[in-house]
Amino acid sequence: MISKAFKTVYWKEVMENLRDKRTMMSSVIMGSFLGPIMALGIIYLTANMGKEKAEKQLELPVVNMAYAKNLEKHFISQDVKIINLDKSPEAAIKDKDHDAVLVIDEKFGEDMAAAKPAKVMLYYDASAKGAANVTVKRIRSLVNAYSSQIGAMRLQLRGVSPNLMNAVMIENHDQSTAQSQGAQLMLFLPYFLIIGLFMGSMYLAIDTTAGEKERKSLEPLFLNPVSRVDVLSGKLAATVSFGLLTLVLTLIAFKLTMPFYPTKSLGITLSLSVVDMLLMLLILLPLSLLAGSIQTIIAAFSKTFKEAQTYVNLVIFIPLIPSMLLMFMPVKEKLWMMATPILSQNIIINQMIRGEDVSWTNIGVSMLGTLIVGALLAWFAVRLYNKESMLFAD
Amino acid sequence: MITVENISKSFGEVQAVKDVSLVAEDGKITALLGANGAGKTTSMRMIYALITPQTGVVTVDGINSTDDPVSARARMGVLPDARGLYKRLTARENMAYFGRLQGMSEAQIKNRSGELIERLGMEKFADRQTDGFSQGQRVKVAIARAILHDPQNILLDEPTNGLDVMSTRAIRTFLREEKARGKCILFSSHVMQEVSAVCDEITVIDAGAVVAVGTEAELLAQSNQSNLEDAFVSLVTAGAGA
Repeated sequence: MISKAFKTVYWKEVMENLRDKRTMMSSVIMGSFLGPIMALGIIYLTANMGKEKAEKQLELPVVNMAYAKNLEKHFISQDVKIINLDKSPEAAIKDKDHDAVLVIDEKFGEDMAAAKPAKVMLYYDASAKGAANVTVKRIRSLVNAYSSQIGAMRLQLRGVSPNLMNAVMIENHDQSTAQSQGAQLMLFLPYFLIIGLFMGSMYLAIDTTAGEKERKSLEPLFLNPVSRVDVLSGKLAATVSFGLLTLVLTLIAFKLTMPFYPTKSLGITLSLSVVDMLLMLLILLPLSLLAGSIQTIIAAFSKTFKEAQTYVNLVIFIPLIPSMLLMFMPVKEKLWMMATPILSQNIIINQMIRGEDVSWTNIGVSMLGTLIVGALLAWFAVRLYNKESMLFAD
Repeated sequence: MITVENISKSFGEVQAVKDVSLVAEDGKITALLGANGAGKTTSMRMIYALITPQTGVVTVDGINSTDDPVSARARMGVLPDARGLYKRLTARENMAYFGRLQGMSEAQIKNRSGELIERLGMEKFADRQTDGFSQGQRVKVAIARAILHDPQNILLDEPTNGLDVMSTRAIRTFLREEKARGKCILFSSHVMQEVSAVCDEITVIDAGAVVAVGTEAELLAQSNQSNLEDAFVSLVTAGAGA
């Protein structure tokens, strides 16, 4: 079944590509290592920043602290460093001098004495990044604690139990596990794996089609007494092989960087066993056929290497869509999703990262669905050059 | 032996080749002579079964190339207009790749490439990667890989285009040797001296159609001229006037 021409073309393309050190570096090595290393850097940064803001002594700029002596005492007892502000609260937030500014109302003391709600104004930017929100949360809880403390005292003075105020009490039962919290951080993993796959096969998909046409070696190649389908199948197989190689390297790179994730300081567990990794490889296997075929088809319609590169680069953004969607909205998986290439791989790998059970039915449907689409595209890709107008660049 | 009967091809509105016929016999060098854009490359592409003629028939050693292009191609060695090499493979590897696609055994490939490397004078660069080869070196590799399987029919599209005197002579000598071995050689050219120097039979085409067929002497007699260049101009303008 496997013809000699297929094998000849396959090994020639593989060997020629391996000899091209620059391409190997930029597509295979970069494609596989860039993701894990970038991810590690970002996680480190966010983890450290969040931790710093949560544990560091709170520096609180307060305007008119003198109006609220008791509140000041409360702050100091809670280890808050009160600082003076030399500009308007609005400007301080806008210039990013402080995450939040507290302003005491002029009638604070008066209202407090009259047992009316005394007012403080909190200035902050709700659209600011995560670490700033930590500060705002801390200030809120400080002020709220003071408020309920005073309220409770007032009720007690009037002989009323403060508990009457708490008609309903919420008891929190957080069902997230240390692993599912870690998964929050790993949501990007399927994306990086799929990107690696696409990047690894991109170069050969272009080089063996549009590149050969541009360098004028496609015509002599087709003059050999072999079918064009055999030649193209060999080329496609080589393309897919490099996609798979990059995928395997990406998985290995993730495994190698895993111990360096700041899991302890974040209080989470990240685990990716060798079995998990092999399962991910299995799930992504059919996708490599689809990636290589799409890229080959697009490249074949281009006249030059550059033109092909522009279009094929755009294709890399396709896997971004389901990954992004899943990052922002939780999805209850349905069977049609499992049959949708790229989306299904994203969902299943996310489930694995969260430590949930992944059903073999889902894996089967995902692999079969992707394989069918991939095979259809491959069938089309290897027949492209049966059309005469596709043969020449001019 | 190659016979071409009334082949035609048009691309959209443009009729590139109309009713071209010719016969290239074994033991002879036959030329397809024509100006740039006369339809030489399109005719050659149909003859070597890369594209299918809209009318007419091409047979290669009796095999109809439309019905069985793969067998027809196995009987031919072609140096097409496009002669790109794989720049990260050596000259020898470029040849071996095509030899394998021709279905040759590794031993046959080894013997035959050794022979061609010697005959075409490629010893110095045979084991270098072809990136940076001169025009002449590249054409030699392209010819060698095209005829590695020692085909009965050798087709060349403007083989000496852009080559220096030394390379041109080497290729002419090689073609004469192949002719002496009884091969059928068909090549297209727009260079009169070239055709005059090596060819036995000449088919002149202009605007996609055959305007004259014969030996050099016959063409001179037919047009009342003393050299091939004048004969060519006379034949082509006569055709245009008619």
